[in-house]
Amino acid sequence: MESLAQEHPDTSVPVQPEPASDSSPVSPPKANRLKELFAYWSIEQRVLAGFGLVFAGIVVISAISYRNTSVLIENSRLDSKSHELVQLLSSVEEALAAAESGHRRYLVTGDESYLKSYRSTVEQMPEYLRYLRGLTSEGAEQRDRVEALERLISRQLKAEAGAIVQREKRGYEGVRHLALSGAAKTEIEEIHRLVTELDTAEQRVLHARVEESAGSTKNTISLLGLGAFLQLVLLASVYFLIHHDVAERRRVAAELQSRGELLLAANKELESFSYSVSHDLRAPLRHIDGYAALLSKAAGDTLNDKARRYLQTISGSAKQMGQLIDDLLVFSRMGRQDMLRTTVNLDQLVKTALHDLRLDLQGRTISWTIHPLPNVSGDPAMLRQVFMNLISNALKFTTTRTEAKIEIGAVTKSSSETEVFVRDNGVGFDMQYAHKLFGVFQRLHRNDEFEGTGIGLANVRRIIHRHGGRTWAEGALNQGATFYFSLPLERSVR
Amino acid sequence: MTTVKPILLAEDNPRDAELALAAMEEQHIADKVVVCRDGAEALDYLYCRGIFAARLPNNPAVVFLDLKMPKVDGLEVLRTIKNDVNLKPIPVVMLTSSREESDLAQSYALGANAYVVKPVEFHQFITAVKELGVFWGVINEPPPEGSESIK
Repeated sequence: MESLAQEHPDTSVPVQPEPASDSSPVSPPKANRLKELFAYWSIEQRVLAGFGLVFAGIVVISAISYRNTSVLIENSRLDSKSHELVQLLSSVEEALAAAESGHRRYLVTGDESYLKSYRSTVEQMPEYLRYLRGLTSEGAEQRDRVEALERLISRQLKAEAGAIVQREKRGYEGVRHLALSGAAKTEIEEIHRLVTELDTAEQRVLHARVEESAGSTKNTISLLGLGAFLQLVLLASVYFLIHHDVAERRRVAAELQSRGELLLAANKELESFSYSVSHDLRAPLRHIDGYAALLSKAAGDTLNDKARRYLQTISGSAKQMGQLIDDLLVFSRMGRQDMLRTTVNLDQLVKTALHDLRLDLQGRTISWTIHPLPNVSGDPAMLRQVFMNLISNALKFTTTRTEAKIEIGAVTKSSSETEVFVRDNGVGFDMQYAHKLFGVFQRLHRNDEFEGTGIGLANVRRIIHRHGGRTWAEGALNQGATFYFSLPLERSVR
Repeated sequence: MTTVKPILLAEDNPRDAELALAAMEEQHIADKVVVCRDGAEALDYLYCRGIFAARLPNNPAVVFLDLKMPKVDGLEVLRTIKNDVNLKPIPVVMLTSSREESDLAQSYALGANAYVVKPVEFHQFITAVKELGVFWGVINEPPPEGSESIK
């Protein structure tokens, strides 16, 4: 954990917008509080916060760039509209001028051919005006101007049409006052003024827009640059984190391996230790018993009863210790021995165990109740040991009964597990010592009451635990005992 | 015919050796027993060299081998015997305190003829050694001298 925490400045400083630095002269209390808050976060939270910030930055930049680009596109659309408008205005003015000069020539000469340009202007004008309205639909000022222009144009054309009618009816004399200046002199001047106004206004807007576009383009470019930088930072952090993670994993794997090797060595040492115990500790015991026997033989009749009893005690103690060593070795071997996993027929197993115990059964009156037992999954040799221990316990603690009653059965409560029990009517035990029953060298009876090394039930527990089961016991003083163990059932699908 | 063949007992522990001899005494075969105090001495005996250079060059009726011995251990002696054409026919009985499976497996793999765990209880020990001595030293018919040359 510590090594991880030390990495934090490297991973998050480029990401974090200056969270806190001790040298910072501006608002040190706030910076310190930030730092404190930051220190509370785990490495994952810090990394997540850093990534979140960078990601948010990239999103904001992308949004702004998108908006800027949309404005640019919109501006360029408006620009082309403005250009069109300027061109259209000059066309309109040209057409109006052509109509004006055409109608004036007709007024002077009466030559119908001069009316051609006037008529074509009258014909085209509604189309022009429709265009004009279309192009100025977005600006209120310009729209007003176009409306005024429309009115003026229709007035001009109307006035000119009136003059042409006069000329037809009354000849040149009737329109003489109009022939030089034209029928709509004031309107034409007004129109020119308006068109110029329209034109300048549009040019002004165009200029402003060009400037705005240039500004936002610059803006977008710098924002995109910043975005690229942030992405680079993000990529660099991701790379760093991955690199860090891989290095960490490698380190952990190496450590695991070295620990595995240590464990293997320790196991080997333990094995050689128990080998020494089995070999070397037994030799002196053999000698004690052997020389005691030789002494009693050599001294023969010269020994009194007391001395003979002493020698017997020496032999007995040596034998007992030999038994203890053997039991302890079996117990230690149970722990490290490789375990088999096969289908075990418990009925058969109990029969074999009883056969092996037949010597202990001699001279005893025992009523057996053995219920059918299920098949389980496990190691047959180890499970045989379990039954041997439990049954010989039941035999041992019922020696005081005239008729021993021993019952063996199983209760299957779920589809995956069965509970086997061995019940006797022996001396039983006080339930307040039940937790001691399965401990190594734990005994609830004095040796002169019942013999034993106190390893049998410890072995039972170890074997059952290795099978993934549990062991427990129920009993009462002088009312017998029941020992239970659970085992996984044989899997129905083989 | 079989009277002269000795019994070789390789046992580093003098007390174990004495107890074994005491057991054989009861069967009156103790005088046939040659005791070696380690594996190297046992090999010297088998190859008639060192302090045994002057002995009659006949193979023992049986070799009782302890597993754990200084210098050369029991398994090493066993391997040497079973790899030598001349010594190979000699029956070898492992006589040891070890009940370890690996020791049993290795001994039989190397060609041991029997494997006996020394009982802690003296009476059982006496019985075991007596029976072994009588069986291998008296009852069992040893391979004829020179049988090693027959293919």
